[in-house]
Amino acid sequence: MAFSLQLGTPVNTALFLFILYSVQKVVYPSVHKPKKIPREFKSGYSWLPKSHPPTVLFKTFTPKTLQPFSGEDGGRILLAINGMVFDVTGGRNFYGPGGMYGNFAGRDASRGMAKQSFDVEMLTPIDQPLDKLEDLRQDEIDNMKGWIDHFSNKYIICGKLVENDAI
Amino acid sequence: MAPPFLNELLVTDDTTLLLGLIAATVLLLNNLYKAQPLVHPILLGRQSDVARVRNPGESAVYRNYSTGLMGRFPLRPAKDVHILADLLKADSDAPRTLWSSKISNPQLQDRVAAFGTGLLRLAGLEVGESNALLLLNDCIEFIISDLALASHSIPSFTLASATLLSSVLDSHPPSVIITHASMLTQILELIYDAGEASRNHVIVVVGEPSTQAMASVASKVKVLKWADVEREGVRVEKIISPLPKPSDVFTVSFFASDSGHIQGAQLTHENLTAGVAAVRALLPLSHSFSQVDTIVSAHSLGTAYGRAIAYTALFEGTSFATLESSKLFHADDYTPQINVADVLSSKVYSIPSPTIAFVKPGHLETLVHAILKEARKSFLLYPFAWRHKTAGIAEGFVTKESLWDRLVFDTARSRVAGDGSAALRAVVVSQGPLSSEILTPARVALSVPLINCFSHPLVAGPILASHALDLQDLGSEGPGLAHSGPPSINCEVKLVGVEDEAIEKGGNPSGVLMVRGPAVAKLTSMEGSYVNIPSSDGERWVGTGVRATVQTNGAFQLLG
Repeated sequence: MAFSLQLGTPVNTALFLFILYSVQKVVYPSVHKPKKIPREFKSGYSWLPKSHPPTVLFKTFTPKTLQPFSGEDGGRILLAINGMVFDVTGGRNFYGPGGMYGNFAGRDASRGMAKQSFDVEMLTPIDQPLDKLEDLRQDEIDNMKGWIDHFSNKYIICGKLVENDAI
Repeated sequence: MAPPFLNELLVTDDTTLLLGLIAATVLLLNNLYKAQPLVHPILLGRQSDVARVRNPGESAVYRNYSTGLMGRFPLRPAKDVHILADLLKADSDAPRTLWSSKISNPQLQDRVAAFGTGLLRLAGLEVGESNALLLLNDCIEFIISDLALASHSIPSFTLASATLLSSVLDSHPPSVIITHASMLTQILELIYDAGEASRNHVIVVVGEPSTQAMASVASKVKVLKWADVEREGVRVEKIISPLPKPSDVFTVSFFASDSGHIQGAQLTHENLTAGVAAVRALLPLSHSFSQVDTIVSAHSLGTAYGRAIAYTALFEGTSFATLESSKLFHADDYTPQINVADVLSSKVYSIPSPTIAFVKPGHLETLVHAILKEARKSFLLYPFAWRHKTAGIAEGFVTKESLWDRLVFDTARSRVAGDGSAALRAVVVSQGPLSSEILTPARVALSVPLINCFSHPLVAGPILASHALDLQDLGSEGPGLAHSGPPSINCEVKLVGVEDEAIEKGGNPSGVLMVRGPAVAKLTSMEGSYVNIPSSDGERWVGTGVRATVQTNGAFQLLG
């Protein structure tokens, strides 16, 4: 059968035009820079993330200003050990309201950590000066330091605790 | 009823088959043959590791993502490199060319030992007590003196610019001055002017001093020739001094701060080994330094950064030379020109064609403009070449061996830079602002990894360095400076003086850049009361005096 190129038929024309278009894209590629920088890596090679990684501001707390952060309003949960304030919002099950160690939320937990006790007697009332921890034995202090290490690895130190009248 | 009409429309024949096959092939080619980006864009979205807490008025602390917040900073390029002398690998004896001398590591070590011994004997220096002023342009004698003085624990002073000479001579009178023969007259004048002619001076000159200069030498000034000192050291038994500790200061590099005050960077052995580790990390592992490379540098060896580059070249066993503009000392008035001729000035040395170039933004701009001007001469192919290259770069891919390089850009490059231009495989730009508009033309014209760094006279090695394979073009929201990337692998940086509310709302932090790390030298100031660093909390954050901002991907952008 003689072979002839029949471009007249619609299907052939469509295919031919498609081939022309694709070849044109290969020979003369498009360089289109988007007006706004894409915010997803799938949207383009030159992209920027939407936002910065979250950072927490290091604040100075007093027992009175620390107390609201007990998680009761669904907000952050903070607790202090030895003057360092830890953000334990990630451990809401333990430190949130109703949790096993919920007493410590928003309070200075140093004595409780040292004596390995979660009783309310371990906490100092808010309007009194900070617990000096002078009567602790060496092994209790070591225990508290161990807890500080555990907390430093697991949670972030987001502030320091000072006396009520220090600010 | 439609069917008969449709049947007519959809009539197919052999041509349809042929066209269908071609269409399918073209479709597959278009979709599957896309160039892969050199580095996955997901990695470019997280270039720094950011601390979770920040102090008020400051940004968080940023580190390179590969180091990580918990990681330790690399202190040395290899396990056993503790002091400067360890940077010369003893077990590699392949010769390489340093400026114009073909020399191997054992030969270099011999010359260093000979010079050190000769200097101690002839100049009457005392180990650990004396100090030396190095007023040399970059040459192999600089390296030899530096290593010799360091091995005998004699601190050396170097200058970042020749204008500091008289102040440094006044405030830190050295036991010996090592300089070029052409500078002898100038030095003698300065000594006499300062009224110091009554003190004993020893000057070692490289080269032959003129008879006029020798005639003007006062009685208390002893002038020795370099060659004589080396010969003396070869002749006698070598003096071995106790090994210095890595924390010993082996050199002080004097530089002028932005306000004009003269400050000194006290570099220890550890600063420099950390700097070498940082410079090595500029290139990715797949393209790292090797013995067949040739490095050219536009940064004077008197600066901490220039010294780190030179010692990286020594450590890796590459050939090394510096450009004409890095020369600080000239007998007459001379302004360094930053242009293509300067880039090619390394050809006067007998080094192989440069493969890695550490240049300044001016060099890059003039070079790129020259190459593109030559490329435009092939006016038929250039538009296609440009288009294809930029399309590839927009996808994150560039190569020196593409079709368009062979057709257009290789000839352009060789016309501008001569026959060795094809050997260039990486360019590192620092010490100046780089406009973001030059980035794409530079990537097209050079088609090699382009790294934008930020360096400072106090830090051996770069502070910020962009990813080598980063081809992102983030300037679509207006022109500005190209970003300098994340912190280098052994620096951590933070910005101070930032606006807290702006950051809490999610804006980019912007403030003064502070840096800390093993490559950061200790600052000394000539005027004791004026100190450029804020009161440090014992952990030595050093201010760089430049303002910067951070993008969301962790790359820093210098402002102004």
